[in-house]
Amino acid sequence: MKDTWQRDVPVFNVPIWTRPFKFFCGLAGLGMILVVYREIAGLGPASGMTDAYAWGIWKTFNTMVLTGLGSGAFAIGIAAWIFNKKNLHVVMRTAVLTSFLAYAFGLCMLAIDVGRPWNFYWFFVPWHWNYHSPLLEVAVCMTVYASIPLFLENIPPILDFVYDRWPDQRPLVKKLDKVIVAGFPYVVSLAYVLPAMHQSSLGALMLLGGNRVYPLWQTPFLPLLYVWAAAFLGFAFVTTTLLFSSMMWNRALDIDVMAELNRLTMWLVGLWLVFRAIDLTLRGSILAAFRFNIFAALFWIEIAILIYGWSKLREAGNTRSPRTMFYAALLVLVGGMLYRFNPTTTAFQPKAGAFYFPSAIELLVSIGFMSLGIAIFLYAAKVLPILPGSNELARKMEAQQATQPGISGFAAAPRAGQFATGD
Amino acid sequence: MEISRRELFQKITTGGAAIAASGGISAALTGVAQAEETPQVPPHALGMLYDATLCIGCKTCVVACTQANGLTPDTRTDPLHQAPADLNNHTKTIIKLYKEADGQTSFVKQQCMHCVDPACAAACMFGGLKKDKNTGVVTWNGKYCVGCRYCEVACPYNVPKFRWEGFNPEIVKCEFCKDRLAKGQEPACTTVCPRKAVIFGLREDLLKEAKRRIAANPGKYHEDRVFGEHEGGGTQVLYLSHVPFDKIGLPQPGNESIPQKYLKWQKRLYSYLVLPAGLYAVLAGTIRKNWKDHEEHLEEEEKASGLRAQL
Repeated sequence: MKDTWQRDVPVFNVPIWTRPFKFFCGLAGLGMILVVYREIAGLGPASGMTDAYAWGIWKTFNTMVLTGLGSGAFAIGIAAWIFNKKNLHVVMRTAVLTSFLAYAFGLCMLAIDVGRPWNFYWFFVPWHWNYHSPLLEVAVCMTVYASIPLFLENIPPILDFVYDRWPDQRPLVKKLDKVIVAGFPYVVSLAYVLPAMHQSSLGALMLLGGNRVYPLWQTPFLPLLYVWAAAFLGFAFVTTTLLFSSMMWNRALDIDVMAELNRLTMWLVGLWLVFRAIDLTLRGSILAAFRFNIFAALFWIEIAILIYGWSKLREAGNTRSPRTMFYAALLVLVGGMLYRFNPTTTAFQPKAGAFYFPSAIELLVSIGFMSLGIAIFLYAAKVLPILPGSNELARKMEAQQATQPGISGFAAAPRAGQFATGD
Repeated sequence: MEISRRELFQKITTGGAAIAASGGISAALTGVAQAEETPQVPPHALGMLYDATLCIGCKTCVVACTQANGLTPDTRTDPLHQAPADLNNHTKTIIKLYKEADGQTSFVKQQCMHCVDPACAAACMFGGLKKDKNTGVVTWNGKYCVGCRYCEVACPYNVPKFRWEGFNPEIVKCEFCKDRLAKGQEPACTTVCPRKAVIFGLREDLLKEAKRRIAANPGKYHEDRVFGEHEGGGTQVLYLSHVPFDKIGLPQPGNESIPQKYLKWQKRLYSYLVLPAGLYAVLAGTIRKNWKDHEEHLEEEEKASGLRAQL
């Protein structure tokens, strides 16, 4: 299905209350109930964390790994705005929405994970900050990023929705458009400086783990490798989201745009692997990879997945097959997520004999927040112009709206036999 | 060597007054400059010296510590006795036994090392854990602690412990019995030790005493070395042992402190936020330039397609 993506169009003609949507809402609900239990019972009964492994998956996975997936707005945004890759503008809304959800729930998890959240009011008293704490840097930067630039980047789709739905509000929307246009460059550049800071500081978190982090991961370049991994994870996550959405909702693909995303991911992953190899070799840590232990095995699994993912990206660049692109991006996601997770838990040895495995509650809360993110995305894609499409598709939707008002947007009522096709 | 207690507390109080008098402004100014320098031992650094060759493992210090700090004895593993398995939220100090197959044994007292440059305080977001500028004692203040447990991740000695139960958790660690210090008393553990295996005093005096013991008994102590003089940037709790230090749970972190070794570049990159601000200026300039292109493109699109332009 070769097509050109010219603008973002809601997924119309599709019911909102589908079975998967209800499923994710259910998981999210269960997660929220368990959050209440955690707040009352405390962290001990709710989680598998111990004094040795004081950080569990809420921090190490939902915050430290998933915000890497939410770096699409950062990475693709830089490609589009700084390096002027004009054809990537059309996927920016997918990127900023997924990023916002990943960050918002990453921050929620951070707040649920801390034991004394009421003391967070020191957040508003900068002279009480310990400026050199990487975690403070993460907390401040992430909150500011998610609540100001990333939030504002998500306003235009909502304005489009208002414009379409309430014609008498159009003058107001146009006025707001002008405000956004005027402030846009200044807000958006903040949206690239802040993630560069906190995504690297996420790596700096484990620097203080010292030599308790296995030498294959512990390096002074941990912050750089982390933010770099965030960049390719962001690309790969937007790629998979676009490909999966297109398949699920039967929307046309713009293979040129997908190939561009694929190409940039390939370069980011390839250079990252080279840089990591050089760093490990120069510091002599590479020797640790040839010891016979679980850490060396983890390292080779991680590296093998990324190298295989890179070769798949290369293959996809030649064949331009969406299927190969999808698998390549998935491999990159898994490899990159392993890289960001390992130094925090599996390659972190606080002391001999210490062990951590997340409790059922921990897993369900973690899954609950991910499900909430997925559910909101499924809903938003059907109501707001998020996913890319062609002008033709937009006209088709307008024509349908004219004859059947409310066909897109939350008033859309499922009518039997009408929601088979979206394109 | 006996250190007069009266002398000791006199030194602490006068030192504290002098530092308070020197004023906040000069402290703030030098604070920035000092960030790059090697962390220095505080002027009246308090310390403890534990000699594993003297300890008989009676655990009187453990009991005294529990009482002095108002902790509930940990009876979770043995309902009849206070028998903690490790440092935990009921236990600020513990005596452990190291036993080798060849019969070599040693006791070891575990507690907060009160590092010269503590990783826990470097990790702490709002200064919940803070090192006193005069005495160097690292204390916890619940007013500033958000319970993130980064201190537990950062401490190379696995000392800070978290109360995992309930909705109002705390960080528990040795604070040199700060309430007793305020009253002019020594920490509880050093007061009760029947063998004087652990003694309290000024770090510099204790270091001299440790070196005296090494000189008087050549070959008795492991590598003729005082653990804590330089290790991990130096600690205020010093150890003498007849068995290798790593065997009794003291890691070999090198002589650089963890914050110094690992946060050096973080501090440089973020100093005065010059780099982020510069990056912001460059990015804003580039995007402004590219934005004009984009806007023209949008207008053309809107005219050609008749559909509202999307930002």
